[in-house]
Amino acid sequence: MDSVGYHLAFWSLAVISVGAALGVVVSRNLIHAVIFLILAFVGVAGLYLVLSAEFIAVVQVLVYVGAISVLMLFAILLTPRAARDNAETSMRYPATILMGLVTAAMVFVAVETDWAAVLDDPVAESPRVIGQSLINEFVLPFEIAAVLLTAALVGAIALAREDPEDAPLHDESLAMEARRPGPHGPGPSPDDGDGGGSA
Amino acid sequence: MTALLAAWYDLRDLSGISREITEWVQGWGPEWLASALSGLIGSLAILAVVGPTLLLLIWVERKLIARIQVRYGPNRVGPRGLFQPVADAIKLILKEELVPRAADKWLFFLPPVLVFIPALLVWGVLPFGPNMQVADLNVGVLYLLAISGTNVLVIFIAGWASNNKYALFGAMRVIAMTISYEVPVVLSLLAVVFFTGSMSLNGIVQWQQQEDLILLLLLPLAALTFFIGGTAELNRTPMDIAEAESEIVAGYHTEYSGMRFGLFYAVELLNAFALSALMATFFLGGWWLWGLEEWVPSWLILLAKTSMVYFVLIWLRGTLPRLRIDQLMSFCWKFLVPAGLLFIVVAAVERTVLLETDWDRTVALPVMAVINAAITLAVVVLYARTAGGPLARLPHAPIMARGRVGGLRAARELAEAAGGGD
Repeated sequence: MDSVGYHLAFWSLAVISVGAALGVVVSRNLIHAVIFLILAFVGVAGLYLVLSAEFIAVVQVLVYVGAISVLMLFAILLTPRAARDNAETSMRYPATILMGLVTAAMVFVAVETDWAAVLDDPVAESPRVIGQSLINEFVLPFEIAAVLLTAALVGAIALAREDPEDAPLHDESLAMEARRPGPHGPGPSPDDGDGGGSA
Repeated sequence: MTALLAAWYDLRDLSGISREITEWVQGWGPEWLASALSGLIGSLAILAVVGPTLLLLIWVERKLIARIQVRYGPNRVGPRGLFQPVADAIKLILKEELVPRAADKWLFFLPPVLVFIPALLVWGVLPFGPNMQVADLNVGVLYLLAISGTNVLVIFIAGWASNNKYALFGAMRVIAMTISYEVPVVLSLLAVVFFTGSMSLNGIVQWQQQEDLILLLLLPLAALTFFIGGTAELNRTPMDIAEAESEIVAGYHTEYSGMRFGLFYAVELLNAFALSALMATFFLGGWWLWGLEEWVPSWLILLAKTSMVYFVLIWLRGTLPRLRIDQLMSFCWKFLVPAGLLFIVVAAVERTVLLETDWDRTVALPVMAVINAAITLAVVVLYARTAGGPLARLPHAPIMARGRVGGLRAARELAEAAGGGD
């Protein structure tokens, strides 16, 4: 743990993570903020790697970088005018004060707590151990999470499902589509030849 | 496998050179220098494989597609047009690199560089031989999935920073398609992990070596799903709706010119080659080939298998027309995902049978392979008979396209308005 490589990795990753986190706060453009946030996530994943927790590091990238940040980007993109031209708001100073207090409290707790250091060696085959404990010991929470996710999936499908009112219109438009002459309609289309006829 | 010579000049195991150098440094230098050096050698080895391969791939791809389409392909620069990629690269470097005035300047610069990171990181866990692997992660499969997920972000940044509607459409399409097709890819790899009991890529190859069976025979549906899902994530021609030039100009790289476009193009080929290598490793036995790896360098075997898969990819690209986005989506969610879920159940049952009974594995595994092949055939035929045909004949317009803003409803209203005016 005291090797040069360890310190080099830790400090460079720490600088990247904290710098990116600062970038999230400072940048005016929301998309830039999300990109900085992604960089911070990657830095944290690197810190997990330094701690020999490959599984958590990879899952951090998979879940936070690959999924949650995409969700954020979509949310910003589908909100009108959120991506560009972010004007100043009157909530800026109260928010700054609130977050300053929260940060101060967290730093205070982190510094003052007498953390119990674990001196065990890292688990060699962490995915296997995690998988076994998920299936054996923690099977109930695991299944509850699965049910919850399925419910969310069904809910998302129900939200995005076609409106029943649209159904007749849909059939009409399909019929219209079918009547319309052209490459999408049934039967041979005059444009579908090899081009030799029109030349 | 018999022990390798373990000498540095043993061509069958190129890691010997790296080991030799590392041990020599350990003799006089500090520990961290040795590990840094071994990492550096591994990265340089990846670059040494990737760089020349890339130049060759451009030529091979263009030449083969030309052959498939009854053309000559590049045949002017160098013998048989072999130096065409070099000429292309020089041309792209000399071209003016335009930056749109409304583009996000900082983010516009990033993607052509960032897009190389996942493309190169994939090679880090790929075993070229029993010892030839930069990092033998015990979460290798998850690592690959995480890496391929970050690719989406880079493309999204490219599309968004261009400040061009076609670029943004392309980026949105990439995200929608990649996220959808990641599900069947994960499901197929889950079946692989079930059987091999390992998430390390070398572990998967070694399992196939121990059981004397390539996973393509044992898990054909998983192999098919992985291949189709992987092709979708590559944005190559059967599924290149992200840069469909007849619909959205060039998708996410519409505004990129010169070498920046060249980098996107290069990474596309590189990703295709990496997918072929992964397919070879997961389903075709990787560096192992029924004992031949003791005579022929294992990395050559892997490269041969990779080239085979890559040929199939080029073949698909040269012959298949582009799919529509709704066809792609329905194919993913209505065929690949249910089929993958079904196959997960089958794989889990078979794995449990293998673990819990003491049947002879040399008999049980081929029997399972036959059962799985039958299931695969049944599923594919069932889909083709029921959902496949009508789906192609009766396109369902996506719901977004039928809103007030446009699409068929707007077209109908326009038609009505025109009819009323008369």
